[in-house]
Amino acid sequence: MDIIGPVLVAGMTTGALYALATLGLSLVWGSLGMLNMAHGTLLTLGGYAAFTAASQLGWPVPVAVLAAAAVGGLIGALIFMLVAYPLSRRSPETFETTIMIATFGVALTLENIVLRLYGGQPLGQPLSVGGSISLGRFVLPWQNLVIIIAAIALMAATALFLARTKAGRAIRATAQNPDAAKLLGVPVARVYLQVLILSGILAGVCGVLVSSITQLSPSLGADPMLKAFIMCVVAGLGNLPGAIITSFALAIVEAVVQFLAGARWGFPALLAIVILVLIRRPGGLFGRVEMRRL
Amino acid sequence: MAEPIGSSCLAVNGLVTGYDARNVLTGVSLSLNSGELVTVVGPNGHGKTTLLRAISGLLPVRKGSVSLNGRAISGLPAHRVAANGVIHVPQGDLLFAGMSVLENLLMGAYLDSDQVAVARRLDEVFSLLPKLAERRTQIAASLSGGERRMVGIGRGLMMKGSVMLIDEPSLGLAPIVIEQIYEVIARLKASGRTILLVEENPARVADIADRIHLLDNGAFVWSGEPAVLLQGDELLATYLGG
Ligand SMILES: Nc1ncnc2c1ncn2[C@@H]1O[C@H](COP(=O)(O)OP(=O)(O)O)[C@@H](O)[C@H]1O
Ligand SMILES: [Mg+2]
Repeated sequence: MDIIGPVLVAGMTTGALYALATLGLSLVWGSLGMLNMAHGTLLTLGGYAAFTAASQLGWPVPVAVLAAAAVGGLIGALIFMLVAYPLSRRSPETFETTIMIATFGVALTLENIVLRLYGGQPLGQPLSVGGSISLGRFVLPWQNLVIIIAAIALMAATALFLARTKAGRAIRATAQNPDAAKLLGVPVARVYLQVLILSGILAGVCGVLVSSITQLSPSLGADPMLKAFIMCVVAGLGNLPGAIITSFALAIVEAVVQFLAGARWGFPALLAIVILVLIRRPGGLFGRVEMRRL
Repeated sequence: MAEPIGSSCLAVNGLVTGYDARNVLTGVSLSLNSGELVTVVGPNGHGKTTLLRAISGLLPVRKGSVSLNGRAISGLPAHRVAANGVIHVPQGDLLFAGMSVLENLLMGAYLDSDQVAVARRLDEVFSLLPKLAERRTQIAASLSGGERRMVGIGRGLMMKGSVMLIDEPSLGLAPIVIEQIYEVIARLKASGRTILLVEENPARVADIADRIHLLDNGAFVWSGEPAVLLQGDELLATYLGG
């Protein structure tokens, strides 16, 4: 059938974007117990940073993408240093709640700054590739291919970093047992800072990719953030491969439902899946209820 | 396997610490010379773990001081205390449950960037605890209790340090496994390590301890050599009975 191809391409593309957004959110959530409500805003900032670099400053595309990564990483670092770290020092017992409220405040503030600077009207992201490759009757737009490849490459790089480097091992160790990590000499606060920078970098680039197939607007990151939250809940917290598989699977389900029943049924279908999964497995598909793991 | 060490290694002076409004330790003093094995014995909930956590900086010291090789370490954050040479094998192991045995051990060498030295210490750990070499790729969460305890000790041995704190190494293990663990501790002592060991049962440590401190309600009620303690049946009886 002719429609299977386009539906699959759409599902894979949104799946790649969801997975990338989910990876950043899940890293921070799983290791600091911090649901970063400003994660979507980091996507937005990345999109606007690349827009500014490419179309206002005239920088070449790779540099514009690096600028987006840098802005994401920098804001991630500032969120840790100015908000998360002080809050966790002052009252560690209530941190998981207070940090949600605080980062929600950060998100509102930053989005309003974007609104002030760029206005509310949607802008076109200049970093997009036109054209498509056709394999027989199967048409694959370059833009979608670029998104899928870029997202997978970033996730693979992150996985390698976590699995193979000393810094990555320290991040996993700290997520699994912060007290034990401290006893071995790991400066845990610095590790958390690294996690927020990494998450911010992933979010910044993710924002560029999202805006390249939609448009730039101050609420650019809101939908990926919501979806990333859903993926984390369905997959179970802290299982990164599980979160990525879930992202692709649910995005394809969403695309199929949208095709068969109409676009407005995509999100209700996702929510129905969330409810079903949580009834059967409260810890998520891959998760264990009380254990954090990276 | 011993690291080069100075003389009076660890000194704790008038230590007061606790949680929230309550002081758990109300003034504890002890000192370890290098190569000594000193034990703190006390019933459950009387502050043994609290003492070790305060020494290693996981818990703030409220009054008093801790010094290592003559340098004050109280007030430093835990990762700085570790960098100064305090090895803490915590109660219940606190392993990195999702990591392999090898990765757990390598985390012990986090502060050491000398790869050759790390590889050498890994060999030493594997020859002391051969079971770990067999299990090196196994995920820590899937190990037996005794194997987990060995990973906890092995991970500590991967650190460079001048004093080793070991918290209830017998906890939750079958008697025969406890014996194996104590054989390992005896070998560590024989190799010249300085060890502060915490246990609930004085009989268990009597053979290897140079000195014993009995902890009761946040303070030492008796300190001395194990032989004296075991002779003074009355003291022991009151202590264990009360
Ligand atoms: N995290 C904590 N918060 C509050 N109280 C604690 C905490 N940990 C231990 N305590 C209390 O401190 C006392 C000493 O505990 P602990 O040092 O663990 O004893 P032990 O190791 O000798 O069994 C106990 O009364 C215990 O309830
Ligand atoms: Mg204890």
